[in-house]
Amino acid sequence: MAMPSRTTSAPAGRGDFGRRPLAYAGKELKVFFRDSQALFFSLALPLVLVVLMVATFGGQTRFNTDAYVVNLDRGGAAGAELVTRLTAVPELTVETLSEEEATQRLADANIYNVVFIPEDFTAKLTSGETPRLVIRQRGMGNTEGQIVNSFAAGLATEIATEYLVSRRVGQTLAAMGRPLPQADVDAKVGSLFETAKADPPVRVEEQAVGARSDPVAIFLPGIFTMFTLFAVSLGSVAMVEERKKGTMERLMTTRLTRVELLAGTWLGSAGRGAVQVVFLFGLAWAAFRIFTPVSFFSIVVVALVGVLSISAVGLIIAAISRTPDQANWTGVFLAMIMSLLGGSFFDVTAAKGVLGVASRLTYNFWANDALRRLIVKGETLASPGVGRDLLVLAGIAAAGWLVALLLFRMRGDAK
Amino acid sequence: MSEEPFVVVKNLRKAFNGTVAVDGVSLSIEKGEIFGLLGPNGAGKTTTIRMMATTLPITSGDVIVAGHSVHDNAPAVRRHLGVCPQELALYPELSALDNLMFFGQMGGQRKAEAREQALRNLELVGLIERARDRVSKFSGGMKRRVNLAIALMAKPDLLFLDEPTVGVDPQSRNHVFTTIEGLRDGGMTVLYTTHYMEEADRLCARVGIMDAGRIVALDTPRNLKAKLGDPDHFSLEDVFLKLTGRRLRDVG
Repeated sequence: MAMPSRTTSAPAGRGDFGRRPLAYAGKELKVFFRDSQALFFSLALPLVLVVLMVATFGGQTRFNTDAYVVNLDRGGAAGAELVTRLTAVPELTVETLSEEEATQRLADANIYNVVFIPEDFTAKLTSGETPRLVIRQRGMGNTEGQIVNSFAAGLATEIATEYLVSRRVGQTLAAMGRPLPQADVDAKVGSLFETAKADPPVRVEEQAVGARSDPVAIFLPGIFTMFTLFAVSLGSVAMVEERKKGTMERLMTTRLTRVELLAGTWLGSAGRGAVQVVFLFGLAWAAFRIFTPVSFFSIVVVALVGVLSISAVGLIIAAISRTPDQANWTGVFLAMIMSLLGGSFFDVTAAKGVLGVASRLTYNFWANDALRRLIVKGETLASPGVGRDLLVLAGIAAAGWLVALLLFRMRGDAK
Repeated sequence: MSEEPFVVVKNLRKAFNGTVAVDGVSLSIEKGEIFGLLGPNGAGKTTTIRMMATTLPITSGDVIVAGHSVHDNAPAVRRHLGVCPQELALYPELSALDNLMFFGQMGGQRKAEAREQALRNLELVGLIERARDRVSKFSGGMKRRVNLAIALMAKPDLLFLDEPTVGVDPQSRNHVFTTIEGLRDGGMTVLYTTHYMEEADRLCARVGIMDAGRIVALDTPRNLKAKLGDPDHFSLEDVFLKLTGRRLRDVG
């Protein structure tokens, strides 16, 4: 008589589908968090990158540059006033140099622009002559230098106007037979200019039409996409290591199906990537203050879609690799190619021809585009461009899953 | 009408790229029996177990477990199995409890059920006090006991133990023996492979000796010894060496 079979048990892989992939992903994350070496490198790398960015960009996202001034108008009120007003400009850090020092540093290409206030600056203003303001620069100077030049020219004109008005008022009063000491005229005219500055006749209103295009905002998406690629590479290695250390063989004797195993690996890999990118963006937020809570939320949403997308590509690596080394090197190769073509190192959005086509075949291109739209252009999740990018990322995820399902064999067969 | 054996292996064969690793193995194991599968390195024991455990496709033949064919209905067979592989198939970064719970959940248990079962199993293998310690901090013997406890998570009625005492100290080995005997007394069927003949002699009701992919002898340890003469004067190792020869087997 045949032994009775345990027909009361639920068919394998059905009924409780969903719990096993989540439990598998949970195990992956537990292993990740308890592997101090992996954790250190995963979280230390974002930290190092943010520290490097802070060191490079000074931890600030608004324009700031150094202005070099040589004031030869020693004892002159107008020259001193020009230096004071330049120093008061929040975007400028003014450094006063001697003439010799400035000449030497320009010669050494140590600096590119210097504002020279001539020794007769105040004298000429007082006498009604037109004073000179000399800008010495190497070639065309640089962009920051041009801005400093504009500030210097504008402030010098402002001071000259004040001197001119004051002198004309004094002359007019004298012509009317009501002469006043020039010092009194200067004081009165000065106070009128101060009042005018406090309540200017024309108000300039700044309207934000997008986030600022600062270097951090431009580099951050590319760094993020590269990170997710490395995280996925680690995920693929983890799955191949299951085979190496024998746990895969043991899993084969459980009810875990290959679809569940792929789903668990996918979620685990995405979870690991998500931890990294949230950490990276969180650090960037803390260091550079470039996000609002809403933009941070949008960026995290795109980042999560991104890691889910590239994690599906990681499943293909896991499916075709037989050793951890194979998975590792395939992952590194893929990361470098995708980063290069996808715009992590340079902007490829306007690329045409072969590069244009090739770049659009990478995950990085679409993830970078979505993040730059959010961070640099100030778009939202509802923007058509961001929506299109998210759809393409979802398509990459679906394609990754499909290929992985075709290639991955858990038990050497399709069961 | 007599009951069919709990496990029936029928003319099992496995070839890898033309090389035959298992060549027509047939055997049966009764419910509640500890059956020893012995053989030198490369004899085909592990390949046989892997096919029986549904992890390696069968070239030809079949294995029937509790009336289910591995060939036709592997998922139904898996619901009866617990496998303790030769390697330490566990996650050293996780605690003993987490390891057991994870495999319990992969076997279809809910989290709370898996936790309850894991604690019972850790009690059984004498590791309840170290349940929350990382496995990486365990001794070799303790890891072997965790390996065994994981195999019991699915509450199997057929347990495959592939050399479960390799590298284990006498105390841990004795604990493993006691555990296996307790499981057998509870009605569990066990397929046991080992290179330690005294283990097979102590634990197994019957043993099959494999060589070059074939079963070359199958009987109780006492009957096998009796074939050499007085069973009280011969050991199972004598039988083993007589049947498989004394030349060294180096298998990569």
